[in-house]
Amino acid sequence: MNDNFTPKITLFHCINTVSEIGGFSLTGRDNFELQTVKLPCSSMVKDVFLLRAFEAGSDAVIVLVCPEGQCRYVEGNIRAKKRVAWVRNLLDEIGLGGRRLSLSNISAGDNVAASQIIQNVLKDLADLGPNPAV
Amino acid sequence: MIVGEQKPISEIKEIIAPYKKILILGCGTCVKTCFAGGEDEVAVLASALRLAFKKDGKEIEIEEFTIERQCEDEFIQESAPAISRNDGVLSLACGAGVQALARRFAKSPVLPGVNTTFIGVLEKQGVFTEECSGCGNCRLDIFGGICPVTRCAKKLLNGPCGGSQNGQCEVDPETDCAWQMIIERLGILGQMDNLRIYVPPKNWQTSLSGGPRKLVREDHMI
Repeated sequence: MNDNFTPKITLFHCINTVSEIGGFSLTGRDNFELQTVKLPCSSMVKDVFLLRAFEAGSDAVIVLVCPEGQCRYVEGNIRAKKRVAWVRNLLDEIGLGGRRLSLSNISAGDNVAASQIIQNVLKDLADLGPNPAV
Repeated sequence: MIVGEQKPISEIKEIIAPYKKILILGCGTCVKTCFAGGEDEVAVLASALRLAFKKDGKEIEIEEFTIERQCEDEFIQESAPAISRNDGVLSLACGAGVQALARRFAKSPVLPGVNTTFIGVLEKQGVFTEECSGCGNCRLDIFGGICPVTRCAKKLLNGPCGGSQNGQCEVDPETDCAWQMIIERLGILGQMDNLRIYVPPKNWQTSLSGGPRKLVREDHMI
């Protein structure tokens, strides 16, 4: 990754997944900016929020949802999954790259898994580079 | 309701490329229901287009606005200030709405963002099906409420073609055989005798084939 590139990541998460943002531990490269958006349920993640995160300068957007079958609102995580898939296609169509947007299922309070997901996205960004629309 | 699909973004980009300032105008009725052109769709499209043009290094200003219906002047006039601020309007309404706008704002380019497809219903969540062709002479009373003009691939009016298999049309196996459905429904209604009614060859004068139609209600005109 270019040393001048400080990745910006926006993380949308259901409050039932990760509750303590300060609990992320990321070893190695940590010069990145993380903005988090709490949602009462991941189904509240609307297509336009994801796109506006990219408009606001994010290089990657992560959506953390509850495991399938464990959404307290029954199908919220399924709705989020479908919306993320839709927006990924849209990002591919406009040339930004759907890889910049990802969704992961995470058990309640599993900050270790959340940290790993962020690490993986940082690795992807080493390939993808900064958001070309900024 | 009228069902439409938003045009591919690559096509929309090409359509609006000549303009520096574009208003994306949504419609809050039919196209909102089929997720083609309501307020949410306007917001998503505007955001996607801004990203796309920025990525290409091109300048474009995109404004967003949605009115209740684009086919009625009473609502169209609310968009007048926004239209006057922009070089062109990308309408996400059906074809009727696009043309109503164009008629009212003759000096503003009005561009289509949606492909209007059919008159239909929401069959189940996320699935819209064509039900009516607007033929202008409705005989759903004898067909048990299922239209063979729209739903039969061959537009047969006097019974099935005999080519269906397992209730599916021989022309398109993804399509239910309209006549199978008609016969089943007439059975439920106890109206099987309707099958004995001879329906003569259709006079298409009342449909779009007879030219664009007009309805005039003098009793509503002052």
